[in-house]
Amino acid sequence: MAGGRGARRVWTLVLVLLALVWLIPIVWMASLALQPNDLLARTTSNVAWGLIPWPFTLDNLAFVLGSGLTPRWFLNSAIVAGGMTLAVLATASLAGYAFARIPFPGKRVLFPLVLAGLVIPEQAVFIPLYTQFAEWGWHNGYLALIAPRVAVPIGVFLMTQFFRGIPTYLDEAAALDGADRWVIFTRIMLPLARPAMTTLAILTFLYAWNDYLWPLVSASRPEMFTITLGLASLQSNFAQSEGLGRVMASGVLASLPVVLLFLLFQRHVVRGIAMGSGK
Amino acid sequence: MTSSAPTRSRAARRVRDAVAGYLFVGPFLLAYVAFLLWPFARGVWISLHDWNLLAVAINPDAKTFVGLDNYVRMLWGDGLVWSLDHQWGVRLLGLALVAGALWAWRRGAIGRGTALAAAAAGLLVFGFALGLHPGEGGRWGDRRFWPIVGNTLTFVALTVPAVAAMGLALAIGLNRDDRRSAVLRTFFFLSQVLSVTVVTLIWQLTLSPRQGLIAHAFRSLGLEPLAWVTSPDLAMPAIVIATVWWSLGFAMILFLAGLQEIPAERNEAARLDGAGPLQLLRHLTLPALSRTTTLVVVLQIILHFQVFGQSHLITRGGPNDATQVWVRYIYQTGFRNSELGDASALAIVLFAFMLVFALLQMRASRGEA
Repeated sequence: MAGGRGARRVWTLVLVLLALVWLIPIVWMASLALQPNDLLARTTSNVAWGLIPWPFTLDNLAFVLGSGLTPRWFLNSAIVAGGMTLAVLATASLAGYAFARIPFPGKRVLFPLVLAGLVIPEQAVFIPLYTQFAEWGWHNGYLALIAPRVAVPIGVFLMTQFFRGIPTYLDEAAALDGADRWVIFTRIMLPLARPAMTTLAILTFLYAWNDYLWPLVSASRPEMFTITLGLASLQSNFAQSEGLGRVMASGVLASLPVVLLFLLFQRHVVRGIAMGSGK
Repeated sequence: MTSSAPTRSRAARRVRDAVAGYLFVGPFLLAYVAFLLWPFARGVWISLHDWNLLAVAINPDAKTFVGLDNYVRMLWGDGLVWSLDHQWGVRLLGLALVAGALWAWRRGAIGRGTALAAAAAGLLVFGFALGLHPGEGGRWGDRRFWPIVGNTLTFVALTVPAVAAMGLALAIGLNRDDRRSAVLRTFFFLSQVLSVTVVTLIWQLTLSPRQGLIAHAFRSLGLEPLAWVTSPDLAMPAIVIATVWWSLGFAMILFLAGLQEIPAERNEAARLDGAGPLQLLRHLTLPALSRTTTLVVVLQIILHFQVFGQSHLITRGGPNDATQVWVRYIYQTGFRNSELGDASALAIVLFAFMLVFALLQMRASRGEA
């Protein structure tokens, strides 16, 4: 038994060490963002391989927040991620409720047709979407960045599953009292769906904030970049290490919202992943 | 009057439901058709054309219908021959994997359908397809396509087992209700929420032979730092390392969800019967997780098949196409070379490849693994 406990202790130690190794690259990015630019031009390993930010400065963060396009990219990301989240929540909850509860003609054909869209990846449609939006003059606008994701049926799938799980007597009782579909949906169903919608909202926001391929294709004007895309454009000239601290500061700022969101809503993120992959 | 009223109200209710149903589904359906179904159909249409991005932008009629030419040129070539010993090393390895899949099925680690599908695909690819090559005077229609498919498969083959195995090990190690495990789970998952451009930013610098963290560690051990990104042999491992670091948390979470479904009494009973940790793992945990394992592997294959950012930003597909991957090839064919017809054909074939795995995922999540 003592051997078992010893083995457990070694195993725990291995896990803790591994977790620290996993964190080190993130800590390093943050630490470099807090060191002076001219120092970084000479060395990235000033104290403890650069893992301890010394000499310490907030200049890089202040610079990135106060000048250049980074504040604009931040705003763009907030608009795109926020808009996409609202649009997905609205369309997915409406459609999910209808598919789960309202008997309408054609539903049996429509629902499988919608689910079939789950197998079409973004990579299979980004070329034709590009030409389509070019014809419509949508590129370099927020709508172009938001709309394609609203069409992805995973949200409808999750909401349909959720509404199917709610006992029918609730809406039947309301219907007997003369409430119409809209009242039942807004007064009874939506409040019950809050947990599922929070999960869907967080996953959509994370996706929107981090999306790279489609913004890269659609937004060509730097003023329309999202922070994720803008960060990629900064990386091209960073080999010379000019402004390394500033690039790292942009990386830190770009990560802050998603990291905070994850830490605050960890439970939802974890459950969303399990749900979204069909568990 | 009294008898027809309920009928009429039932009919009225049906009409109201039909109207409500379509009003509720309408907004999503509009987006679905306009931004997914229609573009997909249009993609197939474009792939049947010689379609230059710039030329068609100036003059919409500047495209020519070429039927399946784009596909034939991509997939096939002139004067191809088949021989038994072409690329025999890789093919033997692949056939060994097929044998492995069949063995895993016999042992009950994976389902019958999955095993047979994997074996059939493996035989087709390794037994037959890799034996094809241009004979004397022959050549491929697109010399870069198959090597790029090979790179993508190599990336998937290196990343997925590493992520799955480490994710499983971590899930088993951290499947406890104490605070320490919760904190460690958060640490391991944290990298997952970063965007691909933050991940590439971090790893581009971490791997740098002059400024990188790994180079610092190598130097302090008295070793010569490695030029990861510019070396033909290390570039692929470099983006694999970055990807494993990035996506481990996802696999861990799914395995944890799977572990929660195993009743604690079963572990307890087995332990009372004198089973050691390794026996427990082999005879109880792994078989109970077989559905989850299939799901994790299939999801990871789908996910990493679409790799783009790591290759685009860390190695830029290089050196010499060593890390050029399928999606980046689509992107470059379409937006660097302006050949939208070829790019769409590439995208449709990628879709067909991934469709197989998407269908496998649906089977796995329905519990028929």
